[in-house]
Amino acid sequence: MPIAFELNGTPASLESDPAMPLLWALRDVLSLTGTKFGCGIAACGACTVLLDGAPVRTCVLPVAGIEGRRVTTIEGLAATRYAALQTAWIDAQVPQCGYCQSGMLMAAAGLLAQTPAPSDADIDAAIGNLCRCGTYQRVRAAIHRAAKALARA
Amino acid sequence: MKRRTFLLSTAAASGALLVGWGLMPPRSRLGDAARFATLGEIALNGWLRFAADGTTILAMPRAEMGQGVHTALVMLAAEELDVDPASVRLVQAPAERIFGNVATFVAALPFHALQADGDERPVGVRAAQWMVAKVARELGINVTGGSSSVADAWRPLRLAAASARSALVASAANRWKANPADCRSENGKVFHAGGQSAHYGELAAEAAVRSPGEARLKSRAAWRLLGSAVPRVDVPAKTNGHAIFGIDVRLPGMLYAAAKFAPQPGGTLAQADTATATKMSGVRHVVRFPADSGGAAGIAVVADTTWQAKQALEAMTLAWNAGPNPTLDSDRILADLETAVRVRSGFNFHDRGDVAKAFGAAKTKLEAWYRAPYLAHATPEPMNCTARVDAEGVELWVSTQVPDFARAAAARAAGVSTDRVRLHARLLGGGFGRRLEADVVAQATRIAMQAGGRPVQLILSREEDMRHDFYRPAQVARLEAAIDDAGTVTGWRIRSAGDAPTPRWVERVMPEIAAVDLLDRSASEGLFDKPYDFPHQRIEHVATRSGVPVGYWRSVGHSHNAFFSESFVDEIAHALKTDPVAFRRTRLAKTPRHLAVLDLAAARSGWGTALPEGRARGVALHESFGSIVAQVAEVSRSAEGRPRVHRVVCAIDCGTAINPGIIAQQMEGSVVFGLTAALYGRIDIRKGAVQQGNFPDYRLLGMAEAPVVETHIVPSTRPPAGVGEPGTPPIAPAVANAWFTLTGERRRALPL
Repeated sequence: MPIAFELNGTPASLESDPAMPLLWALRDVLSLTGTKFGCGIAACGACTVLLDGAPVRTCVLPVAGIEGRRVTTIEGLAATRYAALQTAWIDAQVPQCGYCQSGMLMAAAGLLAQTPAPSDADIDAAIGNLCRCGTYQRVRAAIHRAAKALARA
Repeated sequence: MKRRTFLLSTAAASGALLVGWGLMPPRSRLGDAARFATLGEIALNGWLRFAADGTTILAMPRAEMGQGVHTALVMLAAEELDVDPASVRLVQAPAERIFGNVATFVAALPFHALQADGDERPVGVRAAQWMVAKVARELGINVTGGSSSVADAWRPLRLAAASARSALVASAANRWKANPADCRSENGKVFHAGGQSAHYGELAAEAAVRSPGEARLKSRAAWRLLGSAVPRVDVPAKTNGHAIFGIDVRLPGMLYAAAKFAPQPGGTLAQADTATATKMSGVRHVVRFPADSGGAAGIAVVADTTWQAKQALEAMTLAWNAGPNPTLDSDRILADLETAVRVRSGFNFHDRGDVAKAFGAAKTKLEAWYRAPYLAHATPEPMNCTARVDAEGVELWVSTQVPDFARAAAARAAGVSTDRVRLHARLLGGGFGRRLEADVVAQATRIAMQAGGRPVQLILSREEDMRHDFYRPAQVARLEAAIDDAGTVTGWRIRSAGDAPTPRWVERVMPEIAAVDLLDRSASEGLFDKPYDFPHQRIEHVATRSGVPVGYWRSVGHSHNAFFSESFVDEIAHALKTDPVAFRRTRLAKTPRHLAVLDLAAARSGWGTALPEGRARGVALHESFGSIVAQVAEVSRSAEGRPRVHRVVCAIDCGTAINPGIIAQQMEGSVVFGLTAALYGRIDIRKGAVQQGNFPDYRLLGMAEAPVVETHIVPSTRPPAGVGEPGTPPIAPAVANAWFTLTGERRRALPL
């Protein structure tokens, strides 16, 4: 039985093993490679996407769990109101190697959906993503910047 | 024997073999335009081509791994060409000698930092640097490492762009029967005072005939780009999922591989029960492969998706043969290193005055032992490589710092000549030195050889990546100071012991010359080349062979040696009851650049002013990769009882600052990278096997623990030096020194 869901605003279906984590289905079956593999145990956050608007780590999320739900990946972020984060990311020159940044952006989108004007403590609590290049202070600045832009919008 | 192999082995064997070689000045790195011609585009030299629509195309030899090198090299070219940096299209540079990294080989010479650059270099230093530069130009090895890319490209790339620009302007002037002096270039076009204009694409064909044009570099006063925070060219694609890293390559018919490796270095696969695995859904092949290019022996499953390959791998029952060192243990190695320091003399990297006499006459002697553990790179993008092997040869898609060595490794693995290996370079999800290796290229090639001509993407699990790294070597050092009656430091003596990474790396990437155990400055860098004016010095290093695979880790020897030396300088200051900044200042009178960097960090951090209760400052000053960095860290005690770093003020003299925005980024990133190691980093080896495997047990600093980093750049007109690594070494000692001020407790082992 194919698994039907919504992917970046469009109906989609997957015929893969229901136990396959969404990460590998996105990357290897659907060729959406913006979502990254980092650890495989939900420790680093590189694989974060939004599931019904909330951030989830897809390396441990079986595709069986997305039946009938809305998945938003980094490739679909620009079509949402959280495109403001991408603008802020460019303005603050956040990425270095960039590998973790898809996950960072999706976690930030999840945070702003829940908490439109996050404090530093809110950011610390919500952004558990790991960045080996050490972009944290720019991530923080960009989230604040995007929150302000969205409040004005 | 191939030319490069011959040159390398001769270079390594004699060290001075250059008589009779043709002179290759920097101009020779422009490249002959005819050699780089491409359909529909016109080359003016090896670096620059122009499309019919006027687009500037830059051949990019260096790997972007976050350090901003693509942007920096675009800036060098765009400045001299007068084009918009955002409009420059990058293409991968071919495997040609002009793209070899000369600067990084010159920097490997074991000279004291104070003698290695500037006009005051001794004749012997100049001669050795000239010879190594000549050899490096001849070899043309493309390496992105050693924080050297901008220093290396500084002259050849600007000359390539300036000569292209002058040929374009001359062509326009000729077309308009005008004086070139009445023509100017701007934003990819040539304009004449009379009103005519033409873009570079329209002029390139004629310019090619006139190329190379006169190469006169702009004066600094005329710079529009260099020295400003030009936005990075790679950032937009890194915010929308479109950036393609090695792991993101997707090809028609591609298969995916997952692998397990022998747990111990040198181990082999004894037995594999693959009956269940081969019957599982999506599984195509099971491939056993031997140790190669530093990579471990192991077994791989090739399947339609990574998930299926992983599942099948888990369904196998595997038995491994032990390696030659089945009892390897990192604690015992550290104990052995301490013994080596006590009983062996080592190589003398720096000698000044009469250190024995200074210690004999000393009123007070200080002695301290410092130690540092093995570290893994933990690149966020796990090691991976995509390979296709067919009758034509090998095709690779890989994120690598060493494309030439990657091709050579694939050629060895497949048994073909290197010219039958094509390599497509992709963005690196972190490098930090790990991607100076070609182990995974050899493994992917051997796996793809069994896949019937289909491309195979091998991705290491995080655990296999962490357990089969080339680790930052463990190191132990004894540091001693002799202080006379007047309270003056007269003697400074250090003996360290640890594995030297360079000869081990050479064995892996250039096995043709593996017989030579090279002298490795990186083992002692950060100890033998300190700027402090202590009159009597002796700095030795005992190079050991532990059996643990060791490699280059961001800032290499400086990463631990700066912790040793800058902590010990702090110890001396406290023993003399002197302020640590004031004490350093007394020893920097002859090195004004270092003094200026220290003073800038002290001033901007408010050194000496009051802090809130429970906080203390610590300072460290360190030169590496041609750049001088001082950091002042503000530290408190965390709930876990560890140092909690709130703010780091960073001052840097990196010569000419090409892009201050990227320099600030690199300081921020280097501090987090170094702080992660200082607080948490350690790889333990028990019974020959690495114990840590993933982020819960190899902890990385997170958002909530990241300090605010402020960067201040010392203005300079010297040539540009490194920025990717020099911010890492000072943070551990700055934090340890603050911790001492805060608690009275001196931490002499990493992690703190």
